[in-house]
Amino acid sequence: MAGEDEQGAKKSADAPRKIDRRDVLKGLSTVPALGLFGYAWQTQRKYQQTKAEEAAAPPAAPKDLQVINVALLGAGAQGQVLTDSMLRIPGLRFRAVCDIWEEYNQKRVVNTFRKFKHDVNPYEDYREMLDKEKELDAVIIATPDFWHAQHAIDCLKAGKHVYCEKEMSNTLDGARSMVLAQRETGKLLQIGHQRRSNPRYLHCYDKLITEAKLLGRIVTVSGQWNRALTPDLGAPDRYAIPQARLTQFGFKDMHQFRNWRWYKGKGGGPIVDLGSHQIDIYSWFLGANPSHVMASGGNLYHDPATHEWYDTVMVVYDYDTPHGAAKAYYQTQTTNGSQGYFENFMGDQGTLLMSESEMNYPGTLYRDPNAPAWDEWVQKGYVTAPKEQETKPKSEGAIADVRESVSPDQHMLPVTLRDPYHQPHLQNFFDAVRGKATLNCPAEEAYMTAVAVLKVNEAVEARAPLSFKPEDFKV
Amino acid sequence: MRWPMIAITLMRVFVGWHFLYEGIAKLSAPAWSAAGYLKASRGPFSAMFKSIAAQPNLLDNVNLITSWGLTIVGVLLILGLFTRLASLAGIGFVLLFYLCNPPFVGYFYSIPTEGSYLIVNKNLVEIGALLVILTTGSGQFAGLDRIVRALFAPRPKLATAR
Repeated sequence: MAGEDEQGAKKSADAPRKIDRRDVLKGLSTVPALGLFGYAWQTQRKYQQTKAEEAAAPPAAPKDLQVINVALLGAGAQGQVLTDSMLRIPGLRFRAVCDIWEEYNQKRVVNTFRKFKHDVNPYEDYREMLDKEKELDAVIIATPDFWHAQHAIDCLKAGKHVYCEKEMSNTLDGARSMVLAQRETGKLLQIGHQRRSNPRYLHCYDKLITEAKLLGRIVTVSGQWNRALTPDLGAPDRYAIPQARLTQFGFKDMHQFRNWRWYKGKGGGPIVDLGSHQIDIYSWFLGANPSHVMASGGNLYHDPATHEWYDTVMVVYDYDTPHGAAKAYYQTQTTNGSQGYFENFMGDQGTLLMSESEMNYPGTLYRDPNAPAWDEWVQKGYVTAPKEQETKPKSEGAIADVRESVSPDQHMLPVTLRDPYHQPHLQNFFDAVRGKATLNCPAEEAYMTAVAVLKVNEAVEARAPLSFKPEDFKV
Repeated sequence: MRWPMIAITLMRVFVGWHFLYEGIAKLSAPAWSAAGYLKASRGPFSAMFKSIAAQPNLLDNVNLITSWGLTIVGVLLILGLFTRLASLAGIGFVLLFYLCNPPFVGYFYSIPTEGSYLIVNKNLVEIGALLVILTTGSGQFAGLDRIVRALFAPRPKLATAR
């Protein structure tokens, strides 16, 4: 052992060993390391706690929060989704629910609201509701697409702020008249492209694409929404709406009322129902509207008697972005749901694979091996630390060609949305009603997306590339 | 002999720190379990490790022993208290971790690693470090062992008896 110890042992050979000052000092010399560890651990714990608290549920409502009187117009599946989100938002008082399906949907949502101690009045006709409910501040519209324009315009003209589900309208004329009514009345009109308020998407746009420019120049985009077959929604006979009321509100029969998305003149087909959300993100992230569109689609699978719209659509857009040309592919098909839905942005420095569906696509960034290091952005918490890609072939016997690109580092998006998808977008709308925020998807913005998306159905019909003029996107 | 002993003491504190945080991190994560690591076991001993993961009661004890064991070994190594015993226990733990997923020829380890290893990996290097600590008695040079020995060591009889 140590030389000094040997000396000590010699000394103690003659006399009982005593503890001298040197023994104490040396004996305790590593104790401060334990203190240092304690300090480091506490710091680490505090850091983790702060992170966890930031991610936890929203704080309770401040006492002086201005209460907003809200009505729900359209109490179907989407109306229920929005209701579930709104019930989590503080400072709202629900006053009325309007739905023509008195026998079922209206009752269901009214009961939901009453369970949460909101005394809502039920209506079948929205005009009656606007006449009687004078104290309303805002109306949430979740009716079928072909009603959006008239509902939104009448509500705006009655002096209400409006949150209207996407698609803004099934026709461009309808969408344009909504923008004009909003301008005329000066009321707020938010369209339900809810990814625009999703903190994950905002992080990607504000921090990763705009500030850190992690993707470099985005040259290609791809994305999809694959959805499994949707059965006829149907309705029990005892809940059937009388034919007179169906006709009054524009429906041929109960089957069409339940499955309006399948019919031309009612909805816009899957490219509108599903694609609109994601094509909206294409234009947002690219900072441009498309210049051309090519599309192929059709009703490949279903009976055309019940399915007037295409079940499958594949689209290619050309963009002239502020940074150069880009092309974007999009597909939606409604006969097989595997691989779900995502958007994939590919720049010369990195890739962002993203989806609202965080469970399936948590948000992955790949740094191109030629791109500058992302260490700074990892340290700032913009992306997680990289996981190196496996260099081994995926399957036994597969051989990588030397000409293949080196696999890029994989980083993850550090942001999580713990609320329902629509809650941040509704919150943004109500904050704007209180004058504390600006809308994340105002009518003009949604109009541009409607122009880009509705043109796809035209392009499918035309079987030829169609072009956009910049003025097409302006009202 | 002074500088080598200082270097070895420093190494002992580092190894201890690593053990302590590995232990504390497991203790403070309520959902931590060794099951994932055990289930991913490869190599000649994988059957044994996998069978541990398959027995809930045994697994529970393994979790308890691992997290507290690492913590205690870490504290003892930092303080230089019962250094030999702590080094031996530490070697035992790390040897098990090593054998659970050994980087032997022909075996691959499914959890992505941060480096490239063949037979020798960081676990084995840590075992080597603990062997040095074990055989040099670094706690008696700088550590509480020095005080303990001074207090409790029996008076050497060799010289006085004669």
